[in-house]
Amino acid sequence: MGSEVPNLLEAGAAATLVVSQDLDVGVPVDRHANLKTRLGDLHEFESSADEPSVWTPRSPALLELNFVGIDPAQDPAEAYVLEDDRLPLLVFGALSLVTAGASIEVEGMQVPLPRPAGLLLEKLVTDRTGEKGERDLLVALGLLRLAGPGDLDEVEGAYRRLRTELRHVVRSNLTILSLLGPREGMPDPRSGREDVAALLRRLEAREPDLP
Amino acid sequence: MTPPSLERRLRQMRSRILVRSWGYRQRAHARGVWFRLRRVLTDASEAFAIPAEAARRLVAEGHVAERVGEDLQPPKLIVRVPAARLAMVDGARPVAVRLSADLFDAEALALVPFDLGAEAPRGSPASA
Repeated sequence: MGSEVPNLLEAGAAATLVVSQDLDVGVPVDRHANLKTRLGDLHEFESSADEPSVWTPRSPALLELNFVGIDPAQDPAEAYVLEDDRLPLLVFGALSLVTAGASIEVEGMQVPLPRPAGLLLEKLVTDRTGEKGERDLLVALGLLRLAGPGDLDEVEGAYRRLRTELRHVVRSNLTILSLLGPREGMPDPRSGREDVAALLRRLEAREPDLP
Repeated sequence: MTPPSLERRLRQMRSRILVRSWGYRQRAHARGVWFRLRRVLTDASEAFAIPAEAARRLVAEGHVAERVGEDLQPPKLIVRVPAARLAMVDGARPVAVRLSADLFDAEALALVPFDLGAEAPRGSPASA
């Protein structure tokens, strides 16, 4: 659900768009019980004592796993904790904007990825502050660079279904993304500024009386 | 029982949402100036610090002065100018398109817009 998605959506999973620090795994709340039966298969990971929704790798060559809950019925501005002794989850309402997309094959296993439009909007509708916030916005830029005309139509459609305040958050995050400077180890976002401006203008096109 | 770490993250998230809602209500007021300034800069492919007198001349020629410049303290003339016209402005110095000391130090700003087709419907120009 996170920064690895644009990398995996690139042709041949070229992984040139974002440098990931962890791997977010989206868990639909109605599949939580199924996932728990498979946790024992994660031989290379162990549950973090401090943060039980995080599983840390035994090898430094692997990324940390961060399980996050998805509840399609949730309001995008809300969050709750799905309590569980083994794998409690923070369920982020913004993830309700994400829908399942294409799958890729990894070592014989089908791994479903989210559709780019929903994930892009999720990145833009969530509060983004500090370094992590900026990194998340760079993920949004990676998705925007991969987005085709159909994806942008989807983004616009989902945006128009948001309430006014959340639409403002999306536009505000786009302006922050547009002004980000380069960060070490990440692709330079300045080359994507025109795409950001075009998306923002498109979203504003049918919005009267914007401040 | 909710693990303390998740409880803390949930609390932090809800606090951020409260602050965000306050910011949203402020969007047309003082706090909103940051969004409005970022919005204007987002449309700019390049930004230049220019002398205030040059900015006033550009406005007199009919180039658009962005209203958000009047909302800053001290006010700053921010003018949208095509690249070809800007090339004729003496003393124009490029500045990075971001919120920086360099940008705020400028007497006046000239912004070269991206060529995105029709004008954006956002906001409204200053009366200058």
